[in-house]
Amino acid sequence: MLEIRGLRVSYGNDTVLNGLDLDLADGEALAIIGESGAGKTTLGMSIMRLADAGIQGSIRFNGEDIFTLSDEQMREIRWNRISMLFQNVNNVLNPVHRVLDQVAEPIVEHKLRSKGGALDRAGELLTRFGLPTERFSAYPHQLSGGEQQRVLLAMALANDPDLLIMDEPLSSLDVTTRQELGELLRNIDGHRAKLVITHDLDTASRLSEKLAVLYGGRIVETGSTREVLINPRHPYTRALIRAYPNMTTVKDMQGIKGRMTRPVSGCPFHPRCTQAMEKCSSEVPRLNQNHGRWVACHRGGIVTLLSVVNLSKQFNLLKAVDSVSLHIEAGETLALVGQSGSGKTTLAKILMGLYTPSKGGIYLEGKKVEKREKDFYRRVQMIFQNPGESLSHRLSILELVMEPLEVQGIGTKEERREKAIQTIGEVELPQTKTFLNTYPHHLSGGELQRVAIARALVLDPDLLIADEPTAFLDAGIGAKILKLMLNLQECRGLSMLYITHDVAAARKMSDRIAVMLDGLIIEEGPSSEIVASPRQSYTKRLLASASSLHYLDKTSVK
Amino acid sequence: MLVTGKRNLLTYTIAFVFILALNFLLPRMMPGDPLTAIYGDEALVAMTPALKARLVARFALDQPLWRQFGAYIAALFRGDLGWSYSFNAPVLKVILGALPWTLLVVGTSLILSTILGIVLGIESGWRRGSKIDRAMLAGLMSLNGFPDFFLGLVLLVVFGVLLGIAPLSGALTPYSSLSGQALILDVLKHMALPVAALTIAHLAGGYLLTRNTMITVLKAPFMLTAKAKGLSQNVIKYRHAGRNSMLPVLTMTGISLGRVVAGALFVELVFAYPGVGQLTYQALLSRDYPVIQGVFLMMAVSVLVANFAVDLLYPKLDPRVSHAH
Ligand code: SF4
Repeated sequence: MLEIRGLRVSYGNDTVLNGLDLDLADGEALAIIGESGAGKTTLGMSIMRLADAGIQGSIRFNGEDIFTLSDEQMREIRWNRISMLFQNVNNVLNPVHRVLDQVAEPIVEHKLRSKGGALDRAGELLTRFGLPTERFSAYPHQLSGGEQQRVLLAMALANDPDLLIMDEPLSSLDVTTRQELGELLRNIDGHRAKLVITHDLDTASRLSEKLAVLYGGRIVETGSTREVLINPRHPYTRALIRAYPNMTTVKDMQGIKGRMTRPVSGCPFHPRCTQAMEKCSSEVPRLNQNHGRWVACHRGGIVTLLSVVNLSKQFNLLKAVDSVSLHIEAGETLALVGQSGSGKTTLAKILMGLYTPSKGGIYLEGKKVEKREKDFYRRVQMIFQNPGESLSHRLSILELVMEPLEVQGIGTKEERREKAIQTIGEVELPQTKTFLNTYPHHLSGGELQRVAIARALVLDPDLLIADEPTAFLDAGIGAKILKLMLNLQECRGLSMLYITHDVAAARKMSDRIAVMLDGLIIEEGPSSEIVASPRQSYTKRLLASASSLHYLDKTSVK
Repeated sequence: MLVTGKRNLLTYTIAFVFILALNFLLPRMMPGDPLTAIYGDEALVAMTPALKARLVARFALDQPLWRQFGAYIAALFRGDLGWSYSFNAPVLKVILGALPWTLLVVGTSLILSTILGIVLGIESGWRRGSKIDRAMLAGLMSLNGFPDFFLGLVLLVVFGVLLGIAPLSGALTPYSSLSGQALILDVLKHMALPVAALTIAHLAGGYLLTRNTMITVLKAPFMLTAKAKGLSQNVIKYRHAGRNSMLPVLTMTGISLGRVVAGALFVELVFAYPGVGQLTYQALLSRDYPVIQGVFLMMAVSVLVANFAVDLLYPKLDPRVSHAH
């Protein structure tokens, strides 16, 4: 019923929507999600032809382009066919008219009913949305925020529109009202198409079946709400979900690097994207179907950085790694969880080329890794359990961090020095001369591990393999290292393979968890699912024995 | 609402008492004989000692001040504002003879200028930046500069003298003994020019205020709501924007009432209109102090009453006010 093609809306030089395509079918509930400033409200206003801006493109409503209609025809469509549940901001209702009159007004003015009939219908609607009768003749300022929202809702439905646009319908409500109105909104009759405009993932997931993600004036991803939220394919969507505080995901909240900027040539997300290529800054990606999802990305969405197919390693009779298949996406952390002896360290060593696999293959961005050259190590780096062992004691801190650059032959001596010092700063170590010239044996375990991380990061790798990086550290120091790694991942868009025996840490660090037992991957999935509903009894046992504050657990359960 | 009402009532009572006290004290605080101050030299010369003694007794001038005040108030309540020597009639009667004409002119022009100011302001603000808006703005701003009596003079010269379509003076055609419709028509004809002068002179204030408010109101979220509801332009313009834009003008009308009344006094002179202005002028010429004081009291009280009326009306128009406390 609604068909938007190439919609471009600009206020002066500021292009808010930039070639937006969108379809909405009868009875469908679609949520448009995006940060503030993404142009969501402008989109809603444009559909009602109320955006006071330069507009190109077309919006077809039941086949008719609304931009070709006369003002009078458009007036007939407004509220009768398309109405809007306005965001509940101050003064969205006229302060000098009684709310009942305001709800009845469009019915009277569109001559659908007599004045009396309109007031009756308005009263019915208000009652249906839970406004007590004695509040009908109140003025807006006499109502609470929740009550105003009920009035707005009754008003939006007064003329029984075919399409209801809801702008942030649940924001600024307290939890209980939110729950109640969310329920009401979801259940307003099915034939009506609904377009929910929100920055709030919770609102979107409550009220919509389909989700479209708006970024930089374009739709970057669309699909079923559930699927998009569980398994986002566009880098921006994933970042948005990671940045959203909620009870479902278990990983620590992460911000999105950089800020939204306008205008941007090419892919609107490229200044913030961690997997951008050259093409991304010059060419606009189209919305393409990919694995049942529409994603606008030159790389078809989040790319698979590393995949392992059917990998096995046999030591004599012992199958240390048994037909393991795994993949790690760009910018993602995969936690490999298992006891010692489960084969996880062997797997890491195969990945790094320290062991040759007996069977199977490793693919970096789809290309099979045969011989590991300098190039491979430039992209894949590893940090080990015991930094004391992995760092040479004859080199100063600065020399240690510069070494990988020298091996790779990157830059001049001066540039290497600069890069190394910068990286040392990034891992939150002092950049003073004295510190740079100290030798490792003067440092604490935590500082050594930071030096090891700096050594790994100085090459700007895409994938960091971390094998129990906190095993030799106190809990407090270890937590700081993990926090640092999370931050680094956020800033650099690193992918990580985090190897650990500790499910509790894995859950905080990772997007997905793979559980390994006796050389086999026995279970794999999004961290939240593995933690909330493990399928394997071994996983359950791991979870049960994981460190938790038992005292608190018991009291809170009862 | 009740709280505001009570507070207002208190303020008004205080103002009223203040006016009474002023009216009472001023003549008595002048140097010399209060009787002279109250009645003026000329009246006194003509007085016999017996009359003088009666007057002293009547105003309790030989009593302490607070008693004098009591007597003054008591006289007021009897409707006794004193005796006018130049008109040879009770002051109250003299004033009541003139007051209706002034009320007619001031009231009509006040209502006209307010309504016209609001409507023009709404239309102008709605079209902000357009040619019509700019023309209205420039025109009304320049009119705003002229004093009302000057406008009266211009109108008098143009319509009365040059075109000869309006009477030159008075409120009625003398000795015509008209009645019914003809009388009404005659009254309207006579008041047309003074009313026009006052209306034009006080139009700009309301217009400018409405226009400014309108421009702000047009940006309010509820305007978008009104448009989205598919209402007709006039409903949007008047019921939603206009209704909110006229509120400050009403407050202003209350405040500027005194100015309009003062203006009316001058305009009446220009048109020799037999209202309070004319009366004051004559009283001044003949130094008829009781009349002047009576007029002062009347004017002060009527401005007060009008302000009170606006205050009562305002919460009905802007529901937010009644909940401000
Ligand atoms: S890879 Fe390129 S096209 Fe895809 S989201 Fe990143 S910047 Fe945009």
